[in-house]
Amino acid sequence: MKILKKLLTNPTSLIGIILLIGFFLVAVFAPQIAPPPENARDTQMIPRDGFSTTPKPPSDAHIFGTTEGQYDIFYGVVWGTRTAFRVGVVITIITTTIGLTIGSIAAYYGGWVDEVLMRITEIFQAFPYLLAAITLSSVLQTIYGRGEAGPLMFMARILAFLTFGHKLSDAVNPIELSVLTGMLAIIAFGWMTYARVIRGNILTIREQEYAMAAETIGASGPRILFRHLLPNAVFPVLVIASMDIGSYVLNFAALSFLGLGAQVGYADWGQMISFARNWIPSLANYWYIVAYPGIAIVLFVLAWNLVGDALRDILDPRMRGKGNSV
Amino acid sequence: MLSYIIRRLLILPILIIGVTMLIFLMISMLTPYERAALYVSDVPKRQGAIEGIIKKYGLDDPIPVQYWKWMMGHKDEETGEIDGGILRGDLGWSKTGSSPVVEVIGRRLPATAELALWAAIPMVGIGIWLGVISAVNHNKLPDQILRVFSITGWSIPTFVFGLGVLMIFYAKLGWFPPDRLSDWALRIVQSEAFTQYTKFNTIDAVLNGRFDIFIDALRHMVLPVATLSYLNWAYLLRVTRSSMLDTLRQDYITTARAKGLSKRTVIWTHAVSNALIPVVTVAGMTLIALLNGVVITETVFNYPGIGSFVAQAAVSLDVISVLGMTLFSSFVLVLGNLFVDVLYGIIDPRIRLD
Repeated sequence: MKILKKLLTNPTSLIGIILLIGFFLVAVFAPQIAPPPENARDTQMIPRDGFSTTPKPPSDAHIFGTTEGQYDIFYGVVWGTRTAFRVGVVITIITTTIGLTIGSIAAYYGGWVDEVLMRITEIFQAFPYLLAAITLSSVLQTIYGRGEAGPLMFMARILAFLTFGHKLSDAVNPIELSVLTGMLAIIAFGWMTYARVIRGNILTIREQEYAMAAETIGASGPRILFRHLLPNAVFPVLVIASMDIGSYVLNFAALSFLGLGAQVGYADWGQMISFARNWIPSLANYWYIVAYPGIAIVLFVLAWNLVGDALRDILDPRMRGKGNSV
Repeated sequence: MLSYIIRRLLILPILIIGVTMLIFLMISMLTPYERAALYVSDVPKRQGAIEGIIKKYGLDDPIPVQYWKWMMGHKDEETGEIDGGILRGDLGWSKTGSSPVVEVIGRRLPATAELALWAAIPMVGIGIWLGVISAVNHNKLPDQILRVFSITGWSIPTFVFGLGVLMIFYAKLGWFPPDRLSDWALRIVQSEAFTQYTKFNTIDAVLNGRFDIFIDALRHMVLPVATLSYLNWAYLLRVTRSSMLDTLRQDYITTARAKGLSKRTVIWTHAVSNALIPVVTVAGMTLIALLNGVVITETVFNYPGIGSFVAQAAVSLDVISVLGMTLFSSFVLVLGNLFVDVLYGIIDPRIRLD
């Protein structure tokens, strides 16, 4: 509560929160703001108005203009907020779950378990993550391309359940599969920081006087764990991780931009911007294919970063004092 | 100090083996057929050709055996020649580049290295300078402005920034074109008369006394360098700022001020030199950012380096090329991090004791 009050009184984080609420409303009311065509099979697919290859400037029918292939930019920007929230939230939940599990197992058991888990974490960190994600998604696309993918397909179904709310028994359709492939690639190389931070936090807190004091006054093991260790070790990580949603959306957009995430025509900001690659010499005329989705993604990420930055300052006690001796 | 370096060197093989294992794990998720298909460029006309490849390269052997062969090379039973092997420096055949992956790296690395080198200069210089200014003016106007600048910069995706500057400075104003050289300059650079000492166009041009080419190379470099470095200015600014704020609270800074030293001397000699110690640790992060950044930046600017090649290969599902490139960049990263750690140990005596 105290944190929330501070967030609402700080002007920068207030701007961030207002922006986030705005994006959330757009995502919720997308069907009212940009009504999908009546016979749409998948509302996340941007409706096309013809097949002409040149982008068309903003007009009454298409207020943000159309891309090549006549995809409506306004529709894509509006429905893209849904993709952004889904992708960001689901990736964050899964990466923190993996990180928390591995980090706390390592800290709890110590010894060789800790050693092995931390070496594995380091190995994952030895990759430049975008390259690693590109690699994994090109492998996954090959595998999913053949349709029958065994346990990997099951993973895709779990992810489809979390992302789109589909039933686990339903087959995943190819359009959504390409989104999930990009997400899986980012998840696989995104959990390491959380694992290390949690492990470090638990190890430090266990040595703190208040934890020992709790033990001395005879508090039970679970009480110490749940009442003293976990809230102090996990809560800050959870809060900070939730603010990483913005950067995950950014990474996913980068994959889509390269053609490794969402398919052409899917309401995803990165995918929409990738159209611009074909029009670089004449971008001055076709500015709207970059500008609208670009502004959407910048504001979205900025909103998370504004809130996250304020949170970090609030949670970091060293930043509370205003002392400055020079 | 020596034992610290030795300990770091001992972890190195574990990391490198781990990296190769993880890469191999990714390949082994593909079936023998899919992997054989990666080695042939066309649909084989002869029946059983794929089976032949699977048998010849042992693609249906047990995974550990395959990993061993993949690392050490595969011995041809008829000729006795050893073929492939990551440790022998063979990363496989790149379909996208129509040559061995290693050759593609050799061909394209200079372009990427030149870009990264030019990007590193503004990145470190400007980032640290702005960070110090921000910290010294803590919570005053310059600090607020720089914080807004850094947090906004941090929120702009590389490809949006790159396309944005291309839109203004190329499509609209025509000042800075994409690609690496203009056609006329490329013809001269590739001709006999021009010696490619370093393969860095800017440096070679100066060494050859061709200032027109130097200007041309520079013009092509401005936008990619700005795109690749702005994210890291923003990041370095934040790290320097917070480290500098910590340092400024130390007693020795107060002592120095109390001795009557000028504010300027205290900041730039007493504080900055100590505040930069933690900043060195993020040099590793910066390297990651550069390696990631070149993929997007080179793709946006159609710049013929390693990054644009990876993107191109990945889209055409040329897994061998992508894996080879990723393996190579991971080695660069692992060695870079080792260098940073050792450097950190040298400049911060406290680290060595632990």
